[in-house]
Amino acid sequence: MMEGSREPSAEELSTKEPKHRRDDGRYIDASVGALSGEGSQQETGAPGSTEPVKAFSSVPSIWGGRQFEPTYYGRPAIKSPVWIWTIPAYFFVGGLAGAAMVLGSAAQLLGGARMRLFAQRCHWTGAAAGGIGSALLIADLGRPSRFLNMLRVFRPTSPMSVGSWVLAAATPCSLGAALFYRQGGLLGSLGEMGGYGAGILGIPLAGYTGVLLANTAIPVWQQSRRSLPVLFIGSSMTSAASILKLLPLPPGGGDVVHTFGVVGSLIELAAGRAMERESSQVDQVGKPLRQGAAGMLWTTAKVLTAASLVASVLPGQSRGKRRLAGILGALGSICLRFAVFHAGQVSSRDPHATFRQQRAGYGAAEVTGKPAVTGPERRPLPAPKTKEEIWDTGVSGSGGASEQE
Amino acid sequence: MAKGFFTDTTVCIGCKACEVACKQWNQLPYDGYHFTGMSYDNSGDLGASTWRHVEFIERPVPLGGQTAGNFSWLMMSDVCKHCQRAGCLEACPTGSIVRTEFDTVYVQPDICNGCGYCVVACPFGVIDRLPADGRAWKCTLCYDRLKDDMEPACAKACPTDSIIFGEVADLRDKAQARVEQLHERGMTEAYLYGHDAASQPGTGGLNAFFLLADKPEVYNLPPDPVVPTKKVAESWGALALAGLGMVMTVAAAVLTQRDRAR
Repeated sequence: MMEGSREPSAEELSTKEPKHRRDDGRYIDASVGALSGEGSQQETGAPGSTEPVKAFSSVPSIWGGRQFEPTYYGRPAIKSPVWIWTIPAYFFVGGLAGAAMVLGSAAQLLGGARMRLFAQRCHWTGAAAGGIGSALLIADLGRPSRFLNMLRVFRPTSPMSVGSWVLAAATPCSLGAALFYRQGGLLGSLGEMGGYGAGILGIPLAGYTGVLLANTAIPVWQQSRRSLPVLFIGSSMTSAASILKLLPLPPGGGDVVHTFGVVGSLIELAAGRAMERESSQVDQVGKPLRQGAAGMLWTTAKVLTAASLVASVLPGQSRGKRRLAGILGALGSICLRFAVFHAGQVSSRDPHATFRQQRAGYGAAEVTGKPAVTGPERRPLPAPKTKEEIWDTGVSGSGGASEQE
Repeated sequence: MAKGFFTDTTVCIGCKACEVACKQWNQLPYDGYHFTGMSYDNSGDLGASTWRHVEFIERPVPLGGQTAGNFSWLMMSDVCKHCQRAGCLEACPTGSIVRTEFDTVYVQPDICNGCGYCVVACPFGVIDRLPADGRAWKCTLCYDRLKDDMEPACAKACPTDSIIFGEVADLRDKAQARVEQLHERGMTEAYLYGHDAASQPGTGGLNAFFLLADKPEVYNLPPDPVVPTKKVAESWGALALAGLGMVMTVAAAVLTQRDRAR
């Protein structure tokens, strides 16, 4: 035995083991046990962390083949988003940042001297929200330490890449404007330039997340691809106006924020209706917005936004009224982002949504004009037999939760 | 040099040698013991540590040309399709997902930061993020073996040649011949799924395509998959319009306020 407890390497084994040991059928080449495969780097966490075995009330394999509208045992056809709550939270915060930056640079450009303080306030809001948004995004990453890889390439086909660059450029611009815009000299003009930069970048920042969601395989998001960006821009306008309403506003700001918020809420409500209609072009695809937790969130968002709108336009200038409109608007916008996010989660788990959307011509056929080949007509399946006819061992339950049809 | 798989499901016997060979060669971790109740399929679906997945479908109808019995098995070894227009690749913001010299789609684990966008961009639900690991993983088409002129582990292990590896162009010819052969034998429902851009315009064709004997949905394959980027131009257009609306609103709001102040 060699000194110490170090295990001999494969090379040492193969040379140091006497030949009769190597040939006696018990010798194992240690190199085949070395972890060097393409999946060997995968970290798995603690053992036993996997889901427990589920109990079944029916036999899925019997019911699976008999469905008139087949699925694979009701399994989802696509993967669900792996994102956590920080992503819909970022939709709110990032959108708010973008809209605030647009407000700030407009006040800079068109507001004259009277609105300089207001412009600065907008840029402070934009920079703070941009910073918080970046933190929320990093918190969701599987490998947060590698967040800088987001700026490793620029990929125009990926709304996430575009958005990362926009956020990474807009936030420092806005911060520069907030810090230096009201100073004189070189710093002041740099701050002013930063403010305009933030204003231009703020436009995509306020709504790119809608494009990001539309650019997925999740049926309800993909189906709503025309209304989602508009909805998110409207929601961003509402939320920026709402948050600014909650802060003490410098001269001239109040009315600007009021108009901005009212138009934002109108866009949000109209685009929300448009999204309901667009996603319901295929009934199954639009379902998550109508029922379940996501549907409730969606309705709550609509009610809150409408209430905020009413509170905004009612006559009166009291501080309390403004605050109420602000709180309702912000809550409505938050609810909306979470509703859209959860509707996507529900939609991704529903194979019927995926399949019916594509069968109804809203798959590739919509853009290519030519559907994919899916084989000759299916031979008709026999009429469903009763449970007893197929399986007479007394298995209880009906078709299982996955069988909706 | 485009390499790929032709998976002929009609000769699959459901032995799962491909699943095991893939796990072993790539040294993928186990993903727990699940009893799914779904025939002999206890893997459930493709995932971060399941890069081959054998599906089992029990049908109360015979196959075309089947003379005995009123029942048929369908088995299929599913895998990453290595699409010509890959949703995951086009969505990846870090450049971690690349197209290799073998025309396959490969995730570089040293670059992936686990943003999760590829997971929702894949129209087939293949790629996934491993919770404890934090990165996205999928079939590499055994990139390491290809570099050494070896065929991927699953194809090597397949005892019935249900999984055939090769040049995509050759595979297409083989597949077409096989479909004709099956049609002659009376199995007229056999067809190819995603073998070229004409048959699946949404993905531009799959480097790993399949011969199926029932509707794609039966195998949990989407009937008309589309890479999301094909549709996204309209979204950018809508964003531009809404952005314009926002700018006009804010300009009007600021200008009226300034005029009022005078």
